[in-house]
Amino acid sequence: MPRDTGLLSTLPRFSALAALPREGRTMLNYDVTLAWASLLLLAIGLVMVYSASIAMAEASAYTGYRPWYFLARHAVFVVAGLLAALVAFQVPLKGWQRAAPYLFMLGALLLVAVLVPALGKQVNGSKRWLSLYVVNLQPSELMKLFVVLYAASYAVRKASFLHAEQPLRQTLLKGFLPLLAVMIATGALLLHEPDFGACVVIVAIAFGILFLGGLDWRLLIGLGFLLPVALWLMIRLAPYRLHRFTGFLDPWSDPLGKGYQLTHSLIAFGRGEWLGVGLGASVEKLLYLPEAHTDFLLAVVAEELGFAGVTLVVVLFAWLLVRAYAIGRQAARLERPFSALVAHGIGIWIGVQTFINIGVNMGVLPTKGLTLPLLSFGGSGILANCLALAILMRVDFENRRLLRGFTV
Amino acid sequence: MKSPRTTHSAANATPKLPRLRAPLVFGGLLILLLGLLGRSLYLQRIDNDFLQEQGSSRYSREIDVPAHRGRIVDRFGDPLAISTPVKAVWAWPDQVVATPDQLRALAAALEMTPAALNQKLAQGGDFVYVKKPVAPEVADRAAALKIKGVHDENEYWRYYPGGEVMSHVVGFTGDHDVGQEGLELAQQSWLGGKRGSRRVIINRRGEIVEDVKSIRAPQEGRDLALSIDSRLQYLAFREIKAAVDANKAHAGAVVMLDVKTGEVLALANWPSYNPNNRVRVTRDKMRNRALIDTFEPGSTLKPFTIAAALDAGKVRPGSIIDTAPGTLTIGRATIHDAHREGALTVEQVIQKSSNVGAAKIALSLPAETMWQTLSATGFGATPMTGFPGEVSGRLRPAKSWRPIEQATMAFGHGISVNLVQLARAYTVFATDGELKPVSLLKVDGAIAGRPVISADTARAVRRMLEMVVLPGGTAPKAQVAGYRVAGKTGTAHKLEGRVYVDKYVSSFVGFAPASNPRLVIAIMIDEPAGGQYYGGTVAAPVFSSIMGAALRLLGVPPDAPIDNVVLPPDGADVREET
Repeated sequence: MPRDTGLLSTLPRFSALAALPREGRTMLNYDVTLAWASLLLLAIGLVMVYSASIAMAEASAYTGYRPWYFLARHAVFVVAGLLAALVAFQVPLKGWQRAAPYLFMLGALLLVAVLVPALGKQVNGSKRWLSLYVVNLQPSELMKLFVVLYAASYAVRKASFLHAEQPLRQTLLKGFLPLLAVMIATGALLLHEPDFGACVVIVAIAFGILFLGGLDWRLLIGLGFLLPVALWLMIRLAPYRLHRFTGFLDPWSDPLGKGYQLTHSLIAFGRGEWLGVGLGASVEKLLYLPEAHTDFLLAVVAEELGFAGVTLVVVLFAWLLVRAYAIGRQAARLERPFSALVAHGIGIWIGVQTFINIGVNMGVLPTKGLTLPLLSFGGSGILANCLALAILMRVDFENRRLLRGFTV
Repeated sequence: MKSPRTTHSAANATPKLPRLRAPLVFGGLLILLLGLLGRSLYLQRIDNDFLQEQGSSRYSREIDVPAHRGRIVDRFGDPLAISTPVKAVWAWPDQVVATPDQLRALAAALEMTPAALNQKLAQGGDFVYVKKPVAPEVADRAAALKIKGVHDENEYWRYYPGGEVMSHVVGFTGDHDVGQEGLELAQQSWLGGKRGSRRVIINRRGEIVEDVKSIRAPQEGRDLALSIDSRLQYLAFREIKAAVDANKAHAGAVVMLDVKTGEVLALANWPSYNPNNRVRVTRDKMRNRALIDTFEPGSTLKPFTIAAALDAGKVRPGSIIDTAPGTLTIGRATIHDAHREGALTVEQVIQKSSNVGAAKIALSLPAETMWQTLSATGFGATPMTGFPGEVSGRLRPAKSWRPIEQATMAFGHGISVNLVQLARAYTVFATDGELKPVSLLKVDGAIAGRPVISADTARAVRRMLEMVVLPGGTAPKAQVAGYRVAGKTGTAHKLEGRVYVDKYVSSFVGFAPASNPRLVIAIMIDEPAGGQYYGGTVAAPVFSSIMGAALRLLGVPPDAPIDNVVLPPDGADVREET
């Protein structure tokens, strides 16, 4: 393609930079809008986690009846996440590429550890946490980041096998099946917790990156047949998922039973109207809506801040996607395929998880335990999101250095 | 995992990434997010009526706002029932978070022992009243401790200053401030007002978190003025209680009517109960016997038989009735007199209370005539006081009377009455033949009665009733110093099943001053067991003390010299049976 037709070219600042990569002209070292969008989402998350959890925290013996219980913890997570992000930003992509397989192995080890009775901690029937005395670690959140790094490094390594120039058999055996095997093993671990949501996200990341890395289109068609079969298998293995699946289609058939959580989420949206009932004024959070501060945070946003609030959140996430796309595209142009795939992988991760979470909140997807990235309460999630965005900004940082003629 | 060497060589190839796939993926994701915004718009603005309705049904509640219940006062405005704002302190035991010190402070504030408080909180469950009612300032002291899980709410507490003296008339309220007994029940709609309602938002635990709006303001209840004169009521209560105790009786009742207006000035029963503390109160003690129980009146009914005969012209006060030999056999039944008398005038039949005489007079009348008089004086129909559960007594239709029944009815057997009915019936003799309506509520001014018998007949019977309390009559002990008294004794065997047994109802109904009657008082003593059972010895003295005190209290001018009371020598009492 002679010209870059991506969204990149439509962005005045970046095209200006691309045209004038001169010293002397003020050129920032990082992507300002990406940074601000991320910080704004974190800030909205902090405020909304407090608002959504205050009634629940005040009424629960578990929190010691302290209304600021979740706010305090979330604030610590955000600060820790930002500090971790500063450190991660210092690491060149080359380092991440080298570490990727080991990080992935570490992640797999942690996922196994969760299932060990003495180490794993069970909450609401799911074993997803490792108790680290002060905080609980949720390995599946970190695993999402490790899968991005690992799949990107894999795609770069196996690039020659993935492309259609090879015989299909070669592509299948050497390019596709090894990753498939690894992903099935990882997915099996996650389903064992069970964490269906994380499994879906991780599979989406891995195959999204493989797809962007140039997987033979003939295999894609095969995958198209495989995916429904895999879904059917997963539901067969754990029938409760089928109930969740049918529950979301008509929550009003059993509004106080299976449809309880979803109907309250929908009511929260309905009450919000254009501008919401006002920050802090949600009724749904008054012990009606379960998981208001985690999986169903957006429902509280919708009720308190209305369609305007939902739009703001969605637009900010859309902007993250746009920036992830543009940064990855720039890295690809600079012939840095690992960086490009990492940037796009992070975009896919944030995009898919956001879509699923919001879709669940609005009743267009079956209810499953997935948080809203950067906003929902949860230390591991926030940490993983911050690290991911730091790496994305590092890709951009390295792009800009290369554009200026520096080496990375 | 592959060896780092392979990675290196692969990376060296710097593979070209497909150009179109990334826009496809990210474009797809952005379209999905846009779709979500559309869904959001649909939920929040387009289809939100349904959702908001669903929401309202879950956490919007209409709650009652209690209306202040009207007071019940006596005829002078003295309170007999008052609603006081109080608070109820309640808790969710499993949510109470408090240090032992806080709990001790709470117990002290609520004037409970810490052990009692702990016991309440140890009951578990969702909800427990810690203490109710408590004075608002006490609840405020408890609230100031700010103990999690302990709450209070506003209520009204009904207080009855008259206690056991007034309880049978006033009654009491039960749960939710609703009348349960007595006039509290009968006048519920007048006293209770209408509860208002407010729309509030509750959280999932039912706690009110927001007061949205008032839907209906509460409509306060109205005060109710009774005909009762507290002073006379206390007097009547004191005397009937003393009489029941002195005669070891099962129970007793007294009714006092104002002759001019038909108002019930006093209505007391013993045994009674304290409505402010109804723990361990039996239904038996709650019975307002004067209105909801009937009894066979016995001789107190004789004046009506005589009045019917006088009115019909069958006899005159001086007519001679032969009562010898003190028995009268009709069919297989025989009527007895307590004393053998010979020939008696009609006046003496009343004075000596001769059953045979009354029966003979009754048998001279058509059954229909006698029934007319009894029915017209209010027997067989409720006295229409509006009191819950008041009874009509039993007066069978004349067509079904057999001669023996007509004869026994002449002296008050085979008919049942309640005490208010009986007192009211005597207003025809206290006036010139008018039956006054009775009322438990205050009445303004004199009320015209319904003429039942001729004025001449009424005056004639009044004279006979005056003779009853004179020496030679059955009730000299009913005399009152300074006033002329008229009245009639009754001593009736009680029916148990269908058999008359040796248990009695002793009664006395009378009025004074005889020259211009102001008060009718009816006394009933159920099953006296102190050795005496004649109405003239058991009920008449109670009548005398209540009537004397009441007339003096009301400042009624005496119509007799102060030394008018003449008691016969001991042993010369004229006794009657029935």
